[in-house]
Amino acid sequence: MRSILQMELMKNAQDKGLYFWTFLLPIIFTVLFISIFTSGTEGADKEYVIISIVPGYVVMFVFFIMISMGFSFIDDRDKGMVARLASTPLSPYAYLFGKWLPYVLLVFTQIMVLLTFGKVVYNIPIEQPLLLGMLALILTICITGLGLALSLLIRTSNMGVAVTQVIALGGALLGGLWMPLDAMPSLFQKIGKLTPQYWAHNAFQETMTGTLAYNDFFIASLILLTFGAVGFIIAFFAYPSFLNRAKH
Amino acid sequence: MLVINNVSKKYGKTTALNDISLKLNKGACLGLVGPNGAGKSTLLKIIVHIVQAYEGKIIFTGTSNTDQKRTIGYVPQDICLEENVSAIQNLYFFGRIYQLRGKALQKQAEKVLRYVGLSERKKDKVKTFSGGMKRRLNIGCALMHEPQFIIMDEPTVGIDPQSRHYILDMIKQMKEENRTIIYSSHYIEEVNKICDEVAFIDQGKLIEHDTIHRLIEKHAVPAIFFACPNSESLLKDLHQLSDHIQPYKNGYKLTTAHPMRTMEELLGICREKKLALKQFELIYPTLEDIFFKLTGTELRA
Repeated sequence: MRSILQMELMKNAQDKGLYFWTFLLPIIFTVLFISIFTSGTEGADKEYVIISIVPGYVVMFVFFIMISMGFSFIDDRDKGMVARLASTPLSPYAYLFGKWLPYVLLVFTQIMVLLTFGKVVYNIPIEQPLLLGMLALILTICITGLGLALSLLIRTSNMGVAVTQVIALGGALLGGLWMPLDAMPSLFQKIGKLTPQYWAHNAFQETMTGTLAYNDFFIASLILLTFGAVGFIIAFFAYPSFLNRAKH
Repeated sequence: MLVINNVSKKYGKTTALNDISLKLNKGACLGLVGPNGAGKSTLLKIIVHIVQAYEGKIIFTGTSNTDQKRTIGYVPQDICLEENVSAIQNLYFFGRIYQLRGKALQKQAEKVLRYVGLSERKKDKVKTFSGGMKRRLNIGCALMHEPQFIIMDEPTVGIDPQSRHYILDMIKQMKEENRTIIYSSHYIEEVNKICDEVAFIDQGKLIEHDTIHRLIEKHAVPAIFFACPNSESLLKDLHQLSDHIQPYKNGYKLTTAHPMRTMEELLGICREKKLALKQFELIYPTLEDIFFKLTGTELRA
């Protein structure tokens, strides 16, 4: 497992595109949208917009890691690496865990870097740092779990890109990352509450302002972990079929 | 020793392998020969435990079941390398899978790099390598754990003659180290150069398995080749000796069930007619000829 983990970390470290998607693009979007939506506003209004946009773009962009996860698995499958590793003593689940863990580190780092950027540049409040850290970890598990399921289900890289766009952008729109949920029709508000983005965004915002009650923290965590668990369960059942396709 | 007992494999209704049995002694080098789609890769994948649902048995004597994967080095037809990392990191990756760590890992990677002739490029990213260098590194990855059995699936596909030559030399060296090798290829000349035994596979069936020498002895009667300035007058008399005379290169090829006796008779006729032969020799059929004779299939069809 260690060998897979190290190789995956090394590959990711060499991937300049990943740095762009993971860190640079979210920062550009955050700066751009904050400058657009705060122009002409001051004080509490401005702070409200910033507290909405910073966690909103954190939550939106972390979902794009699913593309990289999908690419990585498809690449291993297509170049025969999965089949080759099956001839070694490495267990199939050590391979899966070794592939998953680097993305946990990456997504968690991404959340931390983007929030730190928000703190340093826009001085966002972080009133409940411990809960925010725990939420970051829970969101990481949620996204990488869903990413794992997606990676093992898709047949081509393009399919991975398409499905991720739907999940990330669709979830961002419905989950209130682009505009407050209250401003949307009631049907969309109901659908929005079924997205992990909604729960993550709301909980992030409230930990920043220090208004997240433990009860709400548990509910948000439970919902996000359920999404993650569904991803892991799907991945668990899809994995034998992925291995089968990779070996022939 | 490696024993393959009545191995069959089906993909849906298609039979990929049909009741294959083979025995391979320690230190032997077996050439697995057959056209594309014959079932060679499937057999190799079964041997190296990639494909696990099959009928029959694969037995590696001298090792327990759990140790088997540690005794096998598999070189797949695909180049399974991480292009964005260096050659030595690719070797470290495979070494770590076999629990090599620290100095031992480093030492073994350096040794393998020397073996595959890539020591000077060890820190370069694999994506900067030529096809031949990638193929050599692909083999190197299978050698990190010093396996006793080396299973190679078309390791020279699509490379330049120099790299091909280098790889064949590497395999000869592996033979000298008394490793047991299975070398799958449809390049019969490579098999002829490096293997002691050959197994012909066609349409999932084992057609023949023997030493190259015995196969030639068993299935190939040598032909007589001769070239002579006045061959027309000689040909008339030769038809008494054999009906199978056909133009070949700059002379004729004569096939008969008794080549040595026919050679003597041919020489006698030449002496009698005072004809001087420019060339006169026994020509042996190639493995490719034998494969064609046994299967009716061209290897590179």
